[in-house]
Amino acid sequence: MQISMPVDDKVINQLKIYDMVEITGKIFTGRDAVLPKIVKCIEDGTCEERGIHLTGGAVFHTAVSPAGIGPTSSNKVDIEGSIPVLSEAGIKMHIGKGSLKKETTEALNKYNSIFLVTPPSTAFLTASIKSKRVVAFPEEGMEALHEIEVENFPAIVAIAHGESIYDK
Amino acid sequence: MISRKEIIEKTADTLLRASTVFRPDQIDAYKRAAELEDSKHAKWVLENIIKNAEIAEDKVFPLCDDTGIPHVLVEVGEDAAVPAGFFSAVEEGVAAGLRQLPGRPMAVKGNDYERISQSAGLSEDSGDLAMAPIQIRRIPGKMIRLTLMMYGGGPEIRGKTLRVFHKHSADTVINEMIEWAVEGAKLLGCLPCALSFGIGRSNLEAASLSMEAMAKGNFSVQSDIEKKITEEVNKAGYGALGLGGKTTALATFVKVGPQRASGIRVVSMRLGCCFDPRRAEWEFEA
Repeated sequence: MQISMPVDDKVINQLKIYDMVEITGKIFTGRDAVLPKIVKCIEDGTCEERGIHLTGGAVFHTAVSPAGIGPTSSNKVDIEGSIPVLSEAGIKMHIGKGSLKKETTEALNKYNSIFLVTPPSTAFLTASIKSKRVVAFPEEGMEALHEIEVENFPAIVAIAHGESIYDK
Repeated sequence: MISRKEIIEKTADTLLRASTVFRPDQIDAYKRAAELEDSKHAKWVLENIIKNAEIAEDKVFPLCDDTGIPHVLVEVGEDAAVPAGFFSAVEEGVAAGLRQLPGRPMAVKGNDYERISQSAGLSEDSGDLAMAPIQIRRIPGKMIRLTLMMYGGGPEIRGKTLRVFHKHSADTVINEMIEWAVEGAKLLGCLPCALSFGIGRSNLEAASLSMEAMAKGNFSVQSDIEKKITEEVNKAGYGALGLGGKTTALATFVKVGPQRASGIRVVSMRLGCCFDPRRAEWEFEA
């Protein structure tokens, strides 16, 4: 299934676990260093003034470095801990790798967001990038909040609507 | 006489190969796994990893954006003379290779407190990433063999070095190793894994033996212990990328060192990711 960013509840409602998708459009990237800072922005209500518009968006758990992009483990404390707050704030898709806790599955379901996994194929994934820019927290360097524009970025739905492939 | 220039250039080339090229036994293992796989999702992941390796080799681009911490094994022939400045030239070659790759710029700046907390930022220079202390072994002959391995971070989260009470049974130790691997594989996103184990008398020795297992392991040549561990881990059924399937572990590499009279064995496990071992060799004629 082809997905164009941003997405709404209608798109999310069509997706179920094991669905293979290709994403085209602008997605955020962030990992351990910056995601807790975004959570703080959400709590402070300062996202919009920083130019961070989360509604209908996706966050790919990766750094953006000269070595390319590739998913980091989403079950690291700082990353998985950001998923409920980001989902409540409007992020619809979290993209990474690795199993997540039951509580996170429940939070995703509550806010109608989903978790997708993608193979850590850096050479392949990096070729899908059409443009990139730093959105916020440039002091974090490659771990800053970036926005990348991707074309036919491959992923598989791992957690959706209370169901997880990791429970199978 | 090996020149300093040659050492630097060959070390840099070796780092590039380790980071961008799958070895033939590694490609064969992936192709076999993809052919045997029933799950269309797992098969898609395995084929994607093979495609990634083709692109990485063709474009000389990193297989994984976590380009890893360089680890070097130097094997010195008994009849070889190590040139003065050899080790500093290897360090310079590693830095040059990281800049050429380019490696992910992930050297952490600052004093002890700042480096631990990662509060003083990162260096923008890929070459600032210090390599791990060099491991040295002796071999027969006149050559100096350099093996360069890139250790990614995911396997470090799932790795483990700990004593195991053997109860005078090798199976007790092997079963514990299988348990560790199954437990770790469940959380490692980058499956299938390639497991490396060292079994020694101290934590340091076991970890260095695990590194040797990783340096020498061959996907096509597996001992009975290695086959058993791989087969048992695959029974967990986590499959490529955790999507379910036949191949959770692609292979296992085990190095058993000398043991001591004791009720324990020290086991060190690296739960290598789907690109492990990222390694390449170069032989200098000394």
